[in-house]
Amino acid sequence: MKNQKKYMNSYLAGVLLGLLILFSFYLTREGLGASGAYKRVVAKVEHIVVPSYIENTSSYFHKYIKDGKEPMKNRLVFMVIGAFIGGFISGGINNRLKLKVEHTPNITSKKRILFAAIGGILFGIGASFGRGCTSGAGLNGMAVMAVSGFVVVAFIFGTGYLTAWFFKKLWL
Amino acid sequence: MDNIKSIKKRYILMSILLIGLALLLLILPERDSSKELEPEKLLFEIIDKNHFVTTDYVADRIINNDNYVILIDIRQPEEFANFSLPGAINIPLNNILDKTESGEYKWKDYLNNDTKKNIFYSNGNTYSNQAWMITRRLNYKNNYIMEGGLNKWKETILDPQRPKNEADNNELTLYNFRKAAKLFFVGGDTKYSSDDSETVKNKPAPIINKNNKKNEDEGGC
Amino acid sequence: MGPLFTGTDEWTLVISLVIGIGFGYILESAGFSSSRKLVGVFYGYDFSVIRVFFMAAVTAAIGLAYFGYLGWIDLSAIYINKFYLGSTILGGIFMGLGFIIGGFCPGTSVCAASIGKIDAIIFIGGVMIGSLIFSLAYPLYANFYTSGAKGAVTIYDMIGISKELAIFIFVVFAVITFYFTAEIQKKISEKSHKY
Repeated sequence: MKNQKKYMNSYLAGVLLGLLILFSFYLTREGLGASGAYKRVVAKVEHIVVPSYIENTSSYFHKYIKDGKEPMKNRLVFMVIGAFIGGFISGGINNRLKLKVEHTPNITSKKRILFAAIGGILFGIGASFGRGCTSGAGLNGMAVMAVSGFVVVAFIFGTGYLTAWFFKKLWL
Repeated sequence: MDNIKSIKKRYILMSILLIGLALLLLILPERDSSKELEPEKLLFEIIDKNHFVTTDYVADRIINNDNYVILIDIRQPEEFANFSLPGAINIPLNNILDKTESGEYKWKDYLNNDTKKNIFYSNGNTYSNQAWMITRRLNYKNNYIMEGGLNKWKETILDPQRPKNEADNNELTLYNFRKAAKLFFVGGDTKYSSDDSETVKNKPAPIINKNNKKNEDEGGC
Repeated sequence: MGPLFTGTDEWTLVISLVIGIGFGYILESAGFSSSRKLVGVFYGYDFSVIRVFFMAAVTAAIGLAYFGYLGWIDLSAIYINKFYLGSTILGGIFMGLGFIIGGFCPGTSVCAASIGKIDAIIFIGGVMIGSLIFSLAYPLYANFYTSGAKGAVTIYDMIGISKELAIFIFVVFAVITFYFTAEIQKKISEKSHKY
Protein backbone atom coordinates (compact mmCIF):
# COMPACT_ATOMS: atom_id res chain seq x y z
CA MET A 1 0.00 0.00 0.00
CA LYS A 2 3.06 2.24 -0.04
CA ASN A 3 2.41 3.08 -3.67
CA GLN A 4 -0.86 4.78 -2.94
CA LYS A 5 0.75 7.32 -0.69
CA LYS A 6 3.56 7.89 -3.08
CA TYR A 7 1.51 8.58 -6.17
CA MET A 8 -1.54 10.69 -6.76
CA ASN A 9 -4.86 8.84 -6.61
CA SER A 10 -5.46 7.46 -10.11
CA TYR A 11 -9.07 8.61 -10.29
CA LEU A 12 -8.10 12.13 -9.30
CA ALA A 13 -5.31 12.11 -11.85
CA GLY A 14 -7.82 10.91 -14.43
CA VAL A 15 -10.23 13.75 -13.69
CA LEU A 16 -7.41 16.30 -13.88
CA LEU A 17 -6.17 14.84 -17.14
CA GLY A 18 -9.73 14.88 -18.51
CA LEU A 19 -10.12 18.55 -17.62
CA LEU A 20 -6.80 19.25 -19.28
CA ILE A 21 -8.01 17.55 -22.47
CA LEU A 22 -11.24 19.56 -22.28
CA PHE A 23 -9.34 22.83 -22.04
CA SER A 24 -6.99 21.76 -24.77
CA PHE A 25 -9.98 21.25 -27.05
CA TYR A 26 -11.52 24.50 -25.89
CA LEU A 27 -8.38 26.49 -26.56
CA THR A 28 -6.77 24.81 -29.55
CA ARG A 29 -9.53 22.52 -30.97
CA GLU A 30 -7.25 19.53 -30.49
CA GLY A 31 -6.35 17.37 -27.53
CA LEU A 32 -3.11 15.94 -26.25
CA GLY A 33 -0.39 14.19 -28.18
CA ALA A 34 3.18 13.09 -28.20
CA SER A 35 4.21 10.81 -31.05
CA GLY A 36 3.68 13.55 -33.64
CA ALA A 37 6.54 15.43 -32.04
CA TYR A 38 8.88 12.47 -32.52
CA LYS A 39 7.95 12.20 -36.17
CA ARG A 40 8.77 15.85 -36.58
CA VAL A 41 12.14 15.43 -34.93
CA VAL A 42 12.89 12.64 -37.40
CA ALA A 43 11.75 14.90 -40.25
CA LYS A 44 13.97 17.68 -38.95
CA VAL A 45 17.00 15.40 -38.76
CA GLU A 46 16.25 14.10 -42.27
CA HIS A 47 16.02 17.66 -43.47
CA ILE A 48 19.45 18.46 -42.08
CA VAL A 49 21.22 15.23 -42.99
CA VAL A 50 19.65 14.22 -46.31
CA PRO A 51 17.72 17.27 -47.54
CA SER A 52 17.43 15.86 -51.05
CA TYR A 53 15.47 12.85 -49.79
CA ILE A 54 12.85 14.71 -47.79
CA GLU A 55 12.47 17.44 -50.41
CA ASN A 56 11.18 14.83 -52.81
CA THR A 57 7.41 15.24 -52.80
CA SER A 58 6.86 11.50 -52.61
CA SER A 59 8.76 11.04 -49.36
CA TYR A 60 6.51 10.44 -46.39
CA PHE A 61 7.74 13.29 -44.20
CA HIS A 62 7.60 15.80 -47.04
CA LYS A 63 4.32 17.12 -45.65
CA TYR A 64 6.16 18.48 -42.63
CA ILE A 65 8.47 20.70 -44.66
CA LYS A 66 6.37 21.52 -47.72
CA ASP A 67 5.90 25.20 -48.54
CA GLY A 68 8.92 26.03 -46.43
CA LYS A 69 7.30 24.91 -43.20
CA GLU A 70 9.44 24.42 -40.14
CA PRO A 71 8.76 20.91 -38.80
CA MET A 72 9.58 21.83 -35.22
CA LYS A 73 7.21 24.79 -35.13
CA ASN A 74 4.25 22.67 -34.17
CA ARG A 75 2.00 22.41 -31.17
CA LEU A 76 2.86 18.78 -30.49
CA VAL A 77 6.58 19.54 -30.31
CA PHE A 78 5.88 22.25 -27.77
CA MET A 79 3.53 19.97 -25.89
CA VAL A 80 6.22 17.32 -25.52
CA ILE A 81 8.73 19.93 -24.36
CA GLY A 82 6.08 21.02 -21.85
CA ALA A 83 5.50 17.43 -20.76
CA PHE A 84 9.21 17.04 -20.12
CA ILE A 85 9.22 20.17 -17.95
CA GLY A 86 6.03 19.12 -16.16
CA GLY A 87 7.36 15.64 -15.45
CA PHE A 88 10.59 17.12 -14.15
CA ILE A 89 8.72 19.47 -11.80
CA SER A 90 6.60 16.66 -10.43
CA GLY A 91 9.61 14.40 -10.07
CA GLY A 92 11.47 17.16 -8.25
CA ILE A 93 8.62 17.90 -5.85
CA ASN A 94 8.14 14.22 -5.07
CA ASN A 95 11.81 13.39 -4.82
CA ARG A 96 11.92 11.01 -7.71
CA LEU A 97 14.72 12.52 -9.78
CA LYS A 98 17.34 9.83 -10.26
CA LEU A 99 19.29 8.60 -13.23
CA LYS A 100 18.64 4.88 -13.47
CA VAL A 101 17.38 1.95 -15.50
CA GLU A 102 14.24 0.56 -13.97
CA HIS A 103 13.74 -3.19 -14.25
CA THR A 104 12.75 -6.22 -12.22
CA PRO A 105 15.53 -7.94 -10.29
CA ASN A 106 15.10 -10.93 -12.62
CA ILE A 107 16.55 -9.28 -15.70
CA THR A 108 19.67 -7.24 -16.33
CA SER A 109 19.80 -3.55 -17.18
CA LYS A 110 21.16 -4.43 -20.59
CA LYS A 111 18.22 -6.67 -21.33
CA ARG A 112 15.79 -3.98 -20.19
CA ILE A 113 17.48 -1.42 -22.44
CA LEU A 114 17.34 -3.80 -25.39
CA PHE A 115 13.65 -4.47 -24.93
CA ALA A 116 12.90 -0.78 -24.38
CA ALA A 117 14.48 -0.12 -27.76
CA ILE A 118 12.50 -2.90 -29.48
CA GLY A 119 9.29 -1.74 -27.82
CA GLY A 120 9.98 1.81 -28.87
CA ILE A 121 10.51 0.83 -32.49
CA LEU A 122 7.28 -1.19 -32.54
CA PHE A 123 5.44 1.69 -30.93
CA GLY A 124 6.85 4.12 -33.46
CA ILE A 125 5.59 1.99 -36.33
CA GLY A 126 2.24 1.48 -34.61
CA ALA A 127 1.75 5.18 -33.89
CA SER A 128 2.36 5.86 -37.58
CA PHE A 129 -0.19 3.32 -38.77
CA GLY A 130 -2.67 4.34 -36.10
CA ARG A 131 -2.23 8.04 -36.91
CA GLY A 132 -1.45 8.79 -33.29
CA CYS A 133 -0.46 7.05 -30.08
CA THR A 134 -2.27 6.17 -26.88
CA SER A 135 -2.93 9.81 -26.09
CA GLY A 136 -3.34 11.36 -29.53
CA ALA A 137 -5.40 8.63 -31.11
CA GLY A 138 -6.76 6.77 -28.09
CA LEU A 139 -7.45 9.32 -25.39
CA ASN A 140 -8.51 12.22 -27.63
CA GLY A 141 -10.46 9.85 -29.82
CA MET A 142 -12.45 8.51 -26.88
CA ALA A 143 -13.02 12.04 -25.54
CA VAL A 144 -14.74 13.02 -28.79
CA MET A 145 -16.33 9.56 -29.08
CA ALA A 146 -14.52 8.83 -32.34
CA VAL A 147 -14.69 5.23 -33.53
CA SER A 148 -10.95 5.26 -34.26
CA GLY A 149 -10.20 6.12 -30.62
CA PHE A 150 -12.13 3.16 -29.26
CA VAL A 151 -10.72 0.81 -31.88
CA VAL A 152 -7.12 1.83 -31.16
CA VAL A 153 -7.60 1.47 -27.40
CA ALA A 154 -9.29 -1.90 -27.78
CA PHE A 155 -6.45 -3.21 -29.94
CA ILE A 156 -3.64 -1.77 -27.81
CA PHE A 157 -5.00 -3.35 -24.64
CA GLY A 158 -6.26 -6.45 -26.41
CA THR A 159 -2.83 -7.15 -27.90
CA GLY A 160 -1.22 -6.39 -24.58
CA TYR A 161 -3.38 -8.88 -22.72
CA LEU A 162 -3.07 -11.56 -25.38
CA THR A 163 0.72 -11.39 -25.43
CA ALA A 164 1.32 -10.56 -21.75
CA TRP A 165 2.02 -14.18 -20.93
CA PHE A 166 4.95 -14.36 -23.36
CA PHE A 167 6.68 -11.36 -21.85
CA LYS A 168 6.00 -11.99 -18.20
CA LYS A 169 9.66 -12.67 -17.51
CA LEU A 170 10.38 -9.07 -18.41
CA TRP A 171 8.08 -7.68 -15.77
CA LEU A 172 7.34 -10.18 -12.99
CA MET B 1 -10.99 -0.15 8.82
CA ASP B 2 -12.89 3.14 9.02
CA ASN B 3 -10.40 4.58 6.66
CA ILE B 4 -11.04 1.92 4.04
CA LYS B 5 -14.76 2.38 4.46
CA SER B 6 -14.54 6.11 3.87
CA ILE B 7 -12.42 5.52 0.78
CA LYS B 8 -15.02 3.10 -0.51
CA LYS B 9 -17.73 5.62 0.17
CA ARG B 10 -15.86 8.20 -1.81
CA TYR B 11 -15.63 5.89 -4.81
CA ILE B 12 -19.32 5.19 -4.70
CA LEU B 13 -19.97 8.92 -4.52
CA MET B 14 -17.66 9.47 -7.47
CA SER B 15 -19.46 6.84 -9.54
CA ILE B 16 -22.84 8.31 -8.70
CA LEU B 17 -21.63 11.78 -9.63
CA LEU B 18 -20.31 10.57 -12.98
CA ILE B 19 -23.45 8.66 -13.89
CA GLY B 20 -25.57 11.54 -12.63
CA LEU B 21 -23.80 14.04 -14.85
CA ALA B 22 -24.18 11.77 -17.85
CA LEU B 23 -27.84 11.16 -17.01
CA LEU B 24 -28.50 14.88 -16.73
CA LEU B 25 -27.03 15.29 -20.20
CA LEU B 26 -29.45 12.67 -21.41
CA ILE B 27 -32.57 14.29 -19.97
CA LEU B 28 -31.73 17.92 -20.62
CA PRO B 29 -34.20 19.37 -23.11
CA GLU B 30 -32.77 19.61 -26.56
CA ARG B 31 -31.46 23.03 -27.18
CA ASP B 32 -32.51 24.78 -30.32
CA SER B 33 -29.20 24.93 -32.08
CA SER B 34 -30.72 26.18 -35.30
CA LYS B 35 -29.50 29.68 -34.77
CA GLU B 36 -29.22 31.58 -37.99
CA LEU B 37 -25.86 32.56 -39.27
CA GLU B 38 -24.87 36.19 -38.97
CA PRO B 39 -24.85 37.99 -42.32
CA GLU B 40 -21.26 39.19 -41.81
CA LYS B 41 -20.04 35.66 -41.36
CA LEU B 42 -21.98 34.49 -44.38
CA LEU B 43 -20.50 37.28 -46.49
CA PHE B 44 -17.03 36.35 -45.31
CA GLU B 45 -17.58 32.74 -46.29
CA ILE B 46 -18.94 33.74 -49.69
CA ILE B 47 -15.84 35.80 -50.40
CA ASP B 48 -13.58 33.19 -48.88
CA LYS B 49 -14.82 30.58 -51.42
CA ASN B 50 -13.73 27.72 -49.23
CA HIS B 51 -16.99 25.97 -50.02
CA PHE B 52 -16.04 25.09 -53.58
CA VAL B 53 -14.64 21.73 -54.54
CA THR B 54 -13.43 20.84 -57.99
CA THR B 55 -14.91 18.28 -60.35
CA ASP B 56 -11.61 16.40 -60.13
CA TYR B 57 -12.02 16.11 -56.39
CA VAL B 58 -15.54 14.76 -56.79
CA ALA B 59 -14.42 12.27 -59.45
CA ASP B 60 -11.59 11.12 -57.22
CA ARG B 61 -13.95 10.62 -54.28
CA ILE B 62 -16.45 8.66 -56.38
CA ILE B 63 -13.73 6.42 -57.79
CA ASN B 64 -12.37 5.82 -54.33
CA ASN B 65 -15.83 4.97 -53.10
CA ASP B 66 -15.63 7.46 -50.25
CA ASN B 67 -18.63 7.00 -47.97
CA TYR B 68 -17.72 10.21 -46.31
CA VAL B 69 -18.80 12.31 -49.27
CA ILE B 70 -22.47 12.67 -50.20
CA LEU B 71 -23.42 14.12 -53.57
CA ILE B 72 -26.64 16.08 -53.63
CA ASP B 73 -28.26 16.78 -56.96
CA ILE B 74 -30.46 19.85 -56.58
CA ARG B 75 -31.97 19.80 -60.08
CA GLN B 76 -35.51 18.72 -60.88
CA PRO B 77 -36.39 15.01 -60.57
CA GLU B 78 -36.76 14.64 -64.37
CA GLU B 79 -33.24 15.96 -64.93
CA PHE B 80 -31.98 13.77 -62.14
CA ALA B 81 -33.59 10.72 -63.71
CA ASN B 82 -32.05 11.60 -67.03
CA PHE B 83 -28.49 11.85 -65.77
CA SER B 84 -26.86 12.05 -62.39
CA LEU B 85 -23.53 11.36 -60.80
CA PRO B 86 -23.11 7.87 -59.30
CA GLY B 87 -24.49 7.63 -55.80
CA ALA B 88 -26.03 11.09 -55.79
CA ILE B 89 -29.29 11.79 -54.01
CA ASN B 90 -31.87 14.19 -55.38
CA ILE B 91 -33.11 17.14 -53.32
CA PRO B 92 -34.59 19.66 -55.78
CA LEU B 93 -33.85 23.25 -54.89
CA ASN B 94 -37.48 24.23 -54.49
CA ASN B 95 -38.02 21.37 -52.04
CA ILE B 96 -35.01 22.11 -49.92
CA LEU B 97 -37.04 23.80 -47.17
CA ASP B 98 -39.85 21.27 -47.11
CA LYS B 99 -41.10 20.50 -43.65
CA THR B 100 -42.34 17.31 -42.11
CA GLU B 101 -45.64 17.07 -40.30
CA SER B 102 -43.95 17.91 -37.02
CA GLY B 103 -42.65 21.16 -38.43
CA GLU B 104 -39.03 20.14 -38.74
CA TYR B 105 -37.09 20.71 -41.90
CA LYS B 106 -37.40 17.50 -43.82
CA TRP B 107 -33.85 17.36 -45.12
CA LYS B 108 -32.15 18.57 -41.98
CA ASP B 109 -30.63 15.20 -41.17
CA TYR B 110 -29.00 15.13 -44.56
CA LEU B 111 -27.99 18.73 -44.86
CA ASN B 112 -26.78 19.43 -41.37
CA ASN B 113 -24.17 16.82 -40.88
CA ASP B 114 -21.36 16.54 -38.40
CA THR B 115 -19.39 13.83 -40.07
CA LYS B 116 -20.15 13.71 -43.75
CA LYS B 117 -19.36 16.12 -46.48
CA ASN B 118 -22.27 17.15 -48.68
CA ILE B 119 -21.52 18.37 -52.17
CA PHE B 120 -24.24 20.21 -54.06
CA TYR B 121 -24.30 20.24 -57.80
CA SER B 122 -26.59 21.47 -60.54
CA ASN B 123 -25.92 22.18 -64.20
CA GLY B 124 -23.94 25.31 -63.52
CA ASN B 125 -23.11 27.23 -60.39
CA THR B 126 -26.11 29.41 -59.73
CA TYR B 127 -28.59 26.95 -58.28
CA SER B 128 -26.10 25.09 -56.17
CA ASN B 129 -24.86 28.43 -54.89
CA GLN B 130 -28.39 29.31 -53.89
CA ALA B 131 -28.85 25.98 -52.15
CA TRP B 132 -25.58 26.43 -50.33
CA MET B 133 -26.52 29.93 -49.24
CA ILE B 134 -29.86 28.78 -47.87
CA THR B 135 -28.30 25.96 -45.89
CA ARG B 136 -25.58 28.24 -44.59
CA ARG B 137 -28.18 30.76 -43.51
CA LEU B 138 -29.72 27.97 -41.44
CA ASN B 139 -26.24 27.44 -40.02
CA TYR B 140 -26.01 23.95 -41.47
CA LYS B 141 -22.49 22.67 -41.75
CA ASN B 142 -20.31 20.62 -44.04
CA ASN B 143 -22.00 21.67 -47.27
CA TYR B 144 -19.97 22.30 -50.40
CA ILE B 145 -20.48 23.06 -54.06
CA MET B 146 -19.05 21.25 -57.02
CA GLU B 147 -17.65 24.20 -58.86
CA GLY B 148 -18.99 24.64 -62.38
CA GLY B 149 -21.60 21.94 -61.93
CA LEU B 150 -22.29 19.28 -64.53
CA ASN B 151 -21.19 21.56 -67.37
CA LYS B 152 -17.74 21.65 -65.89
CA TRP B 153 -17.98 17.94 -65.18
CA LYS B 154 -18.60 17.27 -68.83
CA GLU B 155 -15.82 19.58 -69.86
CA THR B 156 -13.17 18.25 -67.49
CA ILE B 157 -14.01 14.65 -66.73
CA LEU B 158 -15.98 13.39 -69.71
CA ASP B 159 -14.06 15.34 -72.31
CA PRO B 160 -10.64 16.23 -70.95
CA GLN B 161 -8.43 18.42 -73.13
CA ARG B 162 -4.80 17.63 -73.58
CA PRO B 163 -2.78 20.34 -71.80
CA LYS B 164 -1.13 22.85 -74.09
CA ASN B 165 1.95 22.96 -72.01
CA GLU B 166 3.09 19.34 -72.05
CA ALA B 167 6.08 20.13 -69.94
CA ASP B 168 4.04 21.10 -66.96
CA ASN B 169 4.10 18.06 -64.77
CA ASN B 170 1.09 19.00 -62.70
CA GLU B 171 -1.09 19.63 -65.71
CA LEU B 172 -0.06 16.37 -67.24
CA THR B 173 -0.80 14.44 -64.06
CA LEU B 174 -4.20 16.10 -63.91
CA TYR B 175 -4.86 15.20 -67.55
CA ASN B 176 -3.91 11.59 -66.95
CA PHE B 177 -6.14 11.46 -63.94
CA ARG B 178 -9.03 12.87 -65.96
CA LYS B 179 -8.47 10.36 -68.73
CA ALA B 180 -8.56 7.53 -66.22
CA ALA B 181 -11.64 9.02 -64.59
CA LYS B 182 -13.34 9.26 -67.95
CA LEU B 183 -12.80 5.55 -68.52
CA PHE B 184 -14.28 4.90 -65.12
CA PHE B 185 -17.40 6.95 -65.71
CA VAL B 186 -18.07 6.35 -69.39
CA GLY B 187 -17.47 2.63 -69.14
CA GLY B 188 -21.12 2.12 -68.24
CA ASP B 189 -24.11 2.96 -70.39
CA THR B 190 -24.58 6.43 -69.01
CA LYS B 191 -25.88 8.98 -71.39
CA TYR B 192 -25.19 12.60 -70.74
CA SER B 193 -27.79 15.15 -71.74
CA SER B 194 -26.47 18.62 -71.96
CA ASP B 195 -29.36 20.99 -71.98
CA ASP B 196 -27.67 24.07 -70.69
CA SER B 197 -30.66 25.47 -68.99
CA GLU B 198 -28.40 27.49 -66.84
CA THR B 199 -25.76 29.62 -68.40
CA VAL B 200 -23.02 30.69 -66.14
CA LYS B 201 -20.54 32.63 -68.13
CA ASN B 202 -18.97 34.82 -65.53
CA LYS B 203 -17.36 32.06 -63.58
CA PRO B 204 -15.72 32.90 -60.27
CA ALA B 205 -12.00 32.62 -60.07
CA PRO B 206 -11.13 28.92 -60.20
CA ILE B 207 -10.21 28.29 -56.64
CA ILE B 208 -9.26 24.75 -55.98
CA ASN B 209 -9.83 23.81 -52.44
CA LYS B 210 -9.17 20.28 -51.58
CA ASN B 211 -8.32 20.55 -47.96
CA ASN B 212 -11.21 20.68 -45.67
CA LYS B 213 -9.40 22.48 -42.89
CA LYS B 214 -11.46 20.82 -40.24
CA ASN B 215 -10.21 17.37 -40.95
CA GLU B 216 -6.66 18.01 -41.90
CA ASP B 217 -4.55 15.00 -41.10
CA GLU B 218 -2.33 16.17 -38.32
CA GLY B 219 -0.19 13.06 -38.22
CA GLY B 220 -1.95 12.40 -34.97
CA CYS B 221 -0.70 12.19 -31.50
CA MET C 1 -17.08 30.61 -28.20
CA GLY C 2 -14.32 28.07 -28.38
CA PRO C 3 -12.09 26.78 -29.77
CA LEU C 4 -10.31 30.06 -29.29
CA PHE C 5 -7.17 29.46 -31.30
CA THR C 6 -7.47 27.42 -34.42
CA GLY C 7 -4.42 28.42 -36.38
CA THR C 8 -0.81 27.50 -36.19
CA ASP C 9 0.03 30.90 -34.78
CA GLU C 10 2.42 31.45 -31.91
CA TRP C 11 -0.34 31.51 -29.34
CA THR C 12 -1.25 27.93 -30.10
CA LEU C 13 2.35 26.97 -29.47
CA VAL C 14 2.51 28.80 -26.15
CA ILE C 15 -0.77 27.28 -25.00
CA SER C 16 0.42 23.85 -26.08
CA LEU C 17 3.56 24.29 -24.01
CA VAL C 18 1.50 25.14 -20.92
CA ILE C 19 -0.91 22.25 -21.54
CA GLY C 20 2.13 20.03 -22.01
CA ILE C 21 3.48 21.02 -18.61
CA GLY C 22 0.15 20.04 -17.06
CA PHE C 23 0.18 16.81 -19.06
CA GLY C 24 3.67 15.86 -17.86
CA TYR C 25 2.95 16.86 -14.29
CA ILE C 26 -0.23 14.79 -14.06
CA LEU C 27 1.29 11.71 -15.70
CA GLU C 28 4.35 11.80 -13.47
CA SER C 29 2.28 12.39 -10.32
CA ALA C 30 0.06 9.45 -11.20
CA GLY C 31 3.15 7.25 -11.35
CA PHE C 32 3.24 6.87 -15.11
CA SER C 33 6.96 7.50 -15.15
CA SER C 34 7.43 3.91 -14.03
CA SER C 35 7.20 1.23 -16.68
CA ARG C 36 6.59 -1.43 -14.04
CA LYS C 37 3.56 0.46 -12.79
CA LEU C 38 2.27 0.97 -16.33
CA VAL C 39 2.66 -2.65 -17.34
CA GLY C 40 0.93 -3.72 -14.13
CA VAL C 41 -2.33 -3.34 -16.02
CA PHE C 42 -1.50 -6.43 -18.08
CA TYR C 43 -0.62 -8.59 -15.09
CA GLY C 44 -3.40 -7.41 -12.80
CA TYR C 45 -1.30 -5.95 -10.03
CA ASP C 46 -1.89 -2.32 -10.88
CA PHE C 47 -4.78 -0.95 -12.88
CA SER C 48 -3.96 2.74 -12.58
CA VAL C 49 -3.49 2.97 -16.35
CA ILE C 50 -7.08 1.92 -16.94
CA ARG C 51 -8.33 4.20 -14.18
CA VAL C 52 -6.51 7.32 -15.33
CA PHE C 53 -7.21 6.56 -18.96
CA PHE C 54 -10.93 5.94 -18.74
CA MET C 55 -11.50 8.59 -16.09
CA ALA C 56 -9.82 11.17 -18.31
CA ALA C 57 -11.77 10.11 -21.39
CA VAL C 58 -15.09 10.10 -19.52
CA THR C 59 -14.41 13.47 -17.88
CA ALA C 60 -13.42 15.06 -21.18
CA ALA C 61 -16.38 13.54 -23.03
CA ILE C 62 -18.89 14.77 -20.45
CA GLY C 63 -17.16 18.14 -20.27
CA LEU C 64 -17.20 18.58 -24.03
CA ALA C 65 -20.87 17.67 -24.18
CA TYR C 66 -21.72 20.27 -21.53
CA PHE C 67 -19.53 22.90 -23.17
CA GLY C 68 -21.30 22.21 -26.43
CA TYR C 69 -24.71 22.32 -24.78
CA LEU C 70 -24.00 25.65 -23.13
CA GLY C 71 -22.73 27.02 -26.42
CA TRP C 72 -19.21 27.59 -25.12
CA ILE C 73 -17.54 25.52 -27.78
CA ASP C 74 -18.34 24.85 -31.41
CA LEU C 75 -18.27 21.07 -31.41
CA SER C 76 -18.21 20.91 -35.18
CA ALA C 77 -14.88 22.72 -35.18
CA ILE C 78 -12.95 20.32 -32.98
CA TYR C 79 -10.77 17.65 -34.42
CA ILE C 80 -12.21 14.15 -34.70
CA ASN C 81 -9.76 11.41 -35.51
CA LYS C 82 -10.31 9.78 -38.84
CA PHE C 83 -10.91 6.10 -38.99
CA TYR C 84 -9.14 3.86 -41.51
CA LEU C 85 -10.21 0.32 -40.80
CA GLY C 86 -7.05 -1.67 -41.53
CA SER C 87 -4.47 0.93 -40.69
CA THR C 88 -6.03 1.83 -37.34
CA ILE C 89 -6.29 -1.80 -36.27
CA LEU C 90 -2.76 -2.67 -37.35
CA GLY C 91 -1.50 0.43 -35.55
CA GLY C 92 -3.27 -0.68 -32.39
CA ILE C 93 -1.68 -4.13 -32.58
CA PHE C 94 1.81 -2.71 -33.06
CA MET C 95 1.28 -0.26 -30.22
CA GLY C 96 0.06 -3.03 -27.93
CA LEU C 97 3.21 -5.02 -28.62
CA GLY C 98 5.37 -1.94 -28.18
CA PHE C 99 3.67 -1.23 -24.88
CA ILE C 100 4.12 -4.71 -23.39
CA ILE C 101 7.70 -5.06 -24.62
CA GLY C 102 8.91 -1.50 -24.10
CA GLY C 103 6.85 -0.64 -21.05
CA PHE C 104 5.95 2.88 -22.13
CA CYS C 105 3.94 4.82 -24.62
CA PRO C 106 5.24 8.01 -26.24
CA GLY C 107 3.60 10.35 -23.72
CA THR C 108 4.64 8.50 -20.60
CA SER C 109 8.18 7.93 -21.86
CA VAL C 110 8.72 11.70 -21.93
CA CYS C 111 7.80 11.98 -18.25
CA ALA C 112 9.95 9.01 -17.36
CA ALA C 113 12.87 10.46 -19.28
CA SER C 114 12.44 13.77 -17.51
CA ILE C 115 13.04 12.19 -14.11
CA GLY C 116 16.07 10.30 -15.34
CA LYS C 117 14.87 6.88 -16.49
CA ILE C 118 17.48 5.73 -18.99
CA ASP C 119 15.22 3.00 -20.40
CA ALA C 120 12.68 5.69 -21.26
CA ILE C 121 15.27 7.70 -23.17
CA ILE C 122 16.12 4.56 -25.14
CA PHE C 123 12.41 3.97 -25.74
CA ILE C 124 12.07 7.48 -27.19
CA GLY C 125 14.98 6.75 -29.50
CA GLY C 126 13.19 3.57 -30.50
CA VAL C 127 9.98 5.45 -31.33
CA MET C 128 11.94 7.78 -33.58
CA ILE C 129 13.63 4.86 -35.32
CA GLY C 130 10.23 3.20 -35.70
CA SER C 131 8.79 6.35 -37.28
CA LEU C 132 11.78 6.51 -39.59
CA ILE C 133 11.37 2.87 -40.62
CA PHE C 134 7.69 3.50 -41.31
CA SER C 135 8.47 6.53 -43.44
CA LEU C 136 11.19 4.77 -45.45
CA ALA C 137 9.06 1.74 -46.24
CA TYR C 138 5.93 3.84 -46.77
CA PRO C 139 5.58 3.13 -50.53
CA LEU C 140 5.13 -0.56 -49.70
CA TYR C 141 1.87 0.04 -47.90
CA ALA C 142 0.76 3.47 -49.11
CA ASN C 143 -2.45 1.95 -50.44
CA PHE C 144 -3.15 0.04 -47.27
CA TYR C 145 -2.52 3.15 -45.19
CA THR C 146 -5.36 5.04 -46.84
CA SER C 147 -7.68 2.14 -47.57
CA GLY C 148 -10.90 1.54 -45.70
CA ALA C 149 -11.40 5.24 -45.10
CA LYS C 150 -14.47 5.84 -42.96
CA GLY C 151 -13.92 9.53 -42.36
CA ALA C 152 -14.15 11.29 -39.02
CA VAL C 153 -16.85 8.99 -37.81
CA THR C 154 -18.12 8.95 -34.23
CA ILE C 155 -19.41 5.97 -32.37
CA TYR C 156 -22.93 7.40 -31.97
CA ASP C 157 -23.25 8.09 -35.68
CA MET C 158 -22.03 4.63 -36.51
CA ILE C 159 -24.55 2.81 -34.36
CA GLY C 160 -27.19 5.47 -34.86
CA ILE C 161 -27.95 6.59 -31.32
CA SER C 162 -27.91 10.03 -29.78
CA LYS C 163 -24.61 11.41 -28.59
CA GLU C 164 -25.89 11.81 -25.05
CA LEU C 165 -26.94 8.19 -24.87
CA ALA C 166 -23.56 7.08 -26.19
CA ILE C 167 -21.77 9.09 -23.52
CA PHE C 168 -24.07 7.68 -20.86
CA ILE C 169 -23.32 4.12 -21.96
CA PHE C 170 -19.60 4.92 -22.02
CA VAL C 171 -19.76 6.30 -18.46
CA VAL C 172 -21.63 3.26 -17.17
CA PHE C 173 -19.12 1.02 -18.93
CA ALA C 174 -16.23 2.93 -17.34
CA VAL C 175 -17.73 2.70 -13.83
CA ILE C 176 -18.26 -1.04 -14.23
CA THR C 177 -14.66 -1.39 -15.42
CA PHE C 178 -13.45 0.57 -12.39
CA TYR C 179 -15.35 -1.75 -10.08
CA PHE C 180 -14.13 -5.01 -11.62
CA THR C 181 -10.51 -3.93 -11.97
CA ALA C 182 -10.50 -2.90 -8.31
CA GLU C 183 -11.83 -6.35 -7.37
CA ILE C 184 -9.25 -8.14 -9.52
CA GLN C 185 -6.44 -6.06 -8.14
CA LYS C 186 -7.56 -6.82 -4.59
CA LYS C 187 -7.59 -10.55 -5.29
CA ILE C 188 -4.20 -10.58 -6.98
CA SER C 189 -2.52 -8.57 -4.26
CA GLU C 190 -4.06 -10.88 -1.63
CA LYS C 191 -2.65 -13.84 -3.51
CA SER C 192 0.83 -12.39 -3.68
CA HIS C 193 0.70 -11.59 0.05
CA LYS C 194 0.35 -15.28 0.80
CA TYR C 195 3.65 -16.11 -0.82
